[in-house]
Amino acid sequence: MKLLRKEYPLHLMLVPGVILTLIYAYGPMAGLVMAFQQFEPLSGFFKSEWVGFDNFTYVFNLPDFNQVLWNTIVISLFKMVLFLVVPLILALLLNEVTRRWFSRFIQSAIFLPFFLSWTVLGGVVIELFSMDGPVNGIVKSLGSEPIMFMLNNDWFRGIIIGSDVWKGMGYNMIVMLAAITGINATLYEAAEVDGAGKWKQMVHITLPGIAPIIILLSVLSLGNVLNAGFEQILIMYNPTVYEGADVIDTFVYRLGMFSQQFGPAAAVGLFKSVISLGLVSITYYAAYKYNNYRIF
Amino acid sequence: MKSSKTLKTILLLSMVMAAFTACSSKGSDSASTGTTTPSGETKTETAAPEGPLSKYPEPVEVTEVMGFRPAEDPRTPKGLTPDKNAYLQQLKDMLNIDVKYKWTVPTDQFEQKFALAMASGDLPDILELGQKDYEKLRKQDMLADLSEAYEKYASPELKKYMESDGGFSMKVFSKDGKQYGIPSFEDPFLSTQLLWIRKDWLDNLKLQPPTTMEELDKIAEAFVKNDPDQNGKDDTYGVALQKTLFFWGFDVRGFFNGFNAYPSVGDAQTAWIKGNDGKLVPGLIQPEMKQGLSMLQSWYQRGILNKEFALKDENKVVEDITAGKVGISYGEWWYPAWPLNLNVDKDPKANWIAIQIPSISGPGKSLVPKLRSGRIYAVNKNMKNPEAAIKMMNFYIEMGKKKYTDMLKPENGFVYNWFSPRVYNPGQIETIYTEVNKALAANQTEITLDDENYTLVKDVFNYVKDYQSGSTKIASKGTNWGGYFSRVAENGGWGLTRQIKEKQAFVSNEFYGIPTSTQVEKGSQLDKLMQETFTKIILGAPIDEFDKFVTSWKTLGGDKITEEVNAWYNEQAVK
Repeated sequence: MKLLRKEYPLHLMLVPGVILTLIYAYGPMAGLVMAFQQFEPLSGFFKSEWVGFDNFTYVFNLPDFNQVLWNTIVISLFKMVLFLVVPLILALLLNEVTRRWFSRFIQSAIFLPFFLSWTVLGGVVIELFSMDGPVNGIVKSLGSEPIMFMLNNDWFRGIIIGSDVWKGMGYNMIVMLAAITGINATLYEAAEVDGAGKWKQMVHITLPGIAPIIILLSVLSLGNVLNAGFEQILIMYNPTVYEGADVIDTFVYRLGMFSQQFGPAAAVGLFKSVISLGLVSITYYAAYKYNNYRIF
Repeated sequence: MKSSKTLKTILLLSMVMAAFTACSSKGSDSASTGTTTPSGETKTETAAPEGPLSKYPEPVEVTEVMGFRPAEDPRTPKGLTPDKNAYLQQLKDMLNIDVKYKWTVPTDQFEQKFALAMASGDLPDILELGQKDYEKLRKQDMLADLSEAYEKYASPELKKYMESDGGFSMKVFSKDGKQYGIPSFEDPFLSTQLLWIRKDWLDNLKLQPPTTMEELDKIAEAFVKNDPDQNGKDDTYGVALQKTLFFWGFDVRGFFNGFNAYPSVGDAQTAWIKGNDGKLVPGLIQPEMKQGLSMLQSWYQRGILNKEFALKDENKVVEDITAGKVGISYGEWWYPAWPLNLNVDKDPKANWIAIQIPSISGPGKSLVPKLRSGRIYAVNKNMKNPEAAIKMMNFYIEMGKKKYTDMLKPENGFVYNWFSPRVYNPGQIETIYTEVNKALAANQTEITLDDENYTLVKDVFNYVKDYQSGSTKIASKGTNWGGYFSRVAENGGWGLTRQIKEKQAFVSNEFYGIPTSTQVEKGSQLDKLMQETFTKIILGAPIDEFDKFVTSWKTLGGDKITEEVNAWYNEQAVK
């Protein structure tokens, strides 16, 4: 009680956040009943017919579903791995840059695309990789035939993954750089005295020093394994690459928005949420166990 | 997880907003009139208004929602918003009707916004609907029966329009003797597919317009290889095509018709033609399709189609047409008015002509729907004065008369396409064609016609006059030519279409009902399958993929849809 009295301003500050979460995150969960209904918008939640797990059976038996699930997992796994490796390398390299203005400039340049929306970048990427775009200009000058990047399933997946990593890598890089700054400088001094070069310092001090952050970032991203980047793919894909790039979110979008099958769309959403919840729980436990990271 | 959350958030947010706006509009309402008018009470008190255009003694408020484009005319006052449209003031003055917009959004957001409004049940009084939404709302008993209001208040012009097709369209939107919607329909022959081709390119290469697919194939190839624009550069291709194969323009509906294949009525909807046994069959899966697909494949290989058509939307294709990169396109009568006019403005030598689509054996038959109705006007069941909707239709038609024409200028803030409901004369284009040609033949300098079609006819007449005299004071050469060649020229867009209509060179799409339940459920999936397979075949996949497609199409719901469509045909088709 005494503690509460002392801390109540802090709790008070939490209130708006809690209210918003209740309204916008918990409130809409009532909508999940749609997943078990033959939902008719105008009949609402109360008058729509209950159909049990029919929506789930229906969706899982759609011929595209396996392909879509597979695409989602492949694309998001690649993205997850690259989102750790690329920013890590960048952070380590930047850490060694001694001129501060240069390092800051590079940081900002890498961070910049993070703030642009896919609506803009999607168009840019499509133009870059078009038949008479700059990338094919290079391909042609090397003496090869131009490649149809955006119409080829293998290339397209690569472009989806690559461009997303390029756009988002700045964020993780900043987090890792911050972690590196947090490493005790005396460790480096001691290593230098012992005769360790830059490489040895990196392997034996920097990497172990930021290992907790790396593990944390990776376990937290596991919860996103079923998110392959809806907006990006929706803007960039076309019928020729459905086979390699149609993911759960674009699938649900077509189901819900164009066919107005709200029930099945909600069922897929719920399915995704349940899987994600499971993964988040596991990673949370793992993060706690190996890294002593906990929220509560 | 994230996106479904977002979706739910949007849903909830919109519901909350809807609740707020509902409250606030009530609030401002009572504030402005100074009296509180609880719903339901006023209904009985309002004195029965009599004629089609009689003024209400008390102001009547009508709610609408709108998706709007920027005003077309550059002379429209800057900063004008839809709720300041001068039509609304005029409506208020003439009929004492106040239009209140629950919300207005740019057209491209309308569909989603309206879907949300339907989901939350927050509908305006007057509804502008597509066929699918109309059926949905009718089934859920949300629409008012307009039979009485129409009977009593429809103006003679409106009635004339509705009876112009023998009451067919009206019948489609009635059920059990109750009229739930008033369609704004048009002559279905407006959908006739024509082949638009650059005559100046043909002349440069000393070629004749094609009548068969074989000739078209040769011409298209020459357009790629023989430098038809004679600029010494290899920068042209043959046939314009955008990524959605069956669309509203720059697509291949007319192309397939040339192989006696009738896959689609456009906008990704399957066409249904009468089979040999009198049953309806889906044109999309008939064996004739194969021949067309393999020709498209060969066109793609030979560069007649753009290598990246699968990435191009209609805007990109229009860019190519405007820039003079492509010389052939399949489409409807209106092409000269847009986008061919842009090409004419850019390149004065450009000369587009329309020809009847070629087929494997001479001039071919285009698919024509039974019904061409883009918009259906319906009234919310809870509306107090359903006849106000009918009177507003009367009002819009009335405004076409000569006595209003001086007032109706865009400078005065009149923006026609922001006004709803607009029911057009279904024979409008034919009226324009005959009246303008009559006036031209008689060497008139003005239009003498004096009925509700006056303004439309006059506008087109002015285009033609300016085109003939070469005046570009009001509009560019391309615009004048576009107005002339789409609507008035004997061998132009409508001119050729009416010749085809007279010759009866067409095949009917027999299904015009609302989408069946399996169509709604599986439609987008089947469409995806079709797009994917066809695009791949065109890009070079083996043509046998088509047979696989037919099998999957059938098992994935196509057979069921065929059953449903035939059930509809037997029971409900107005024959």
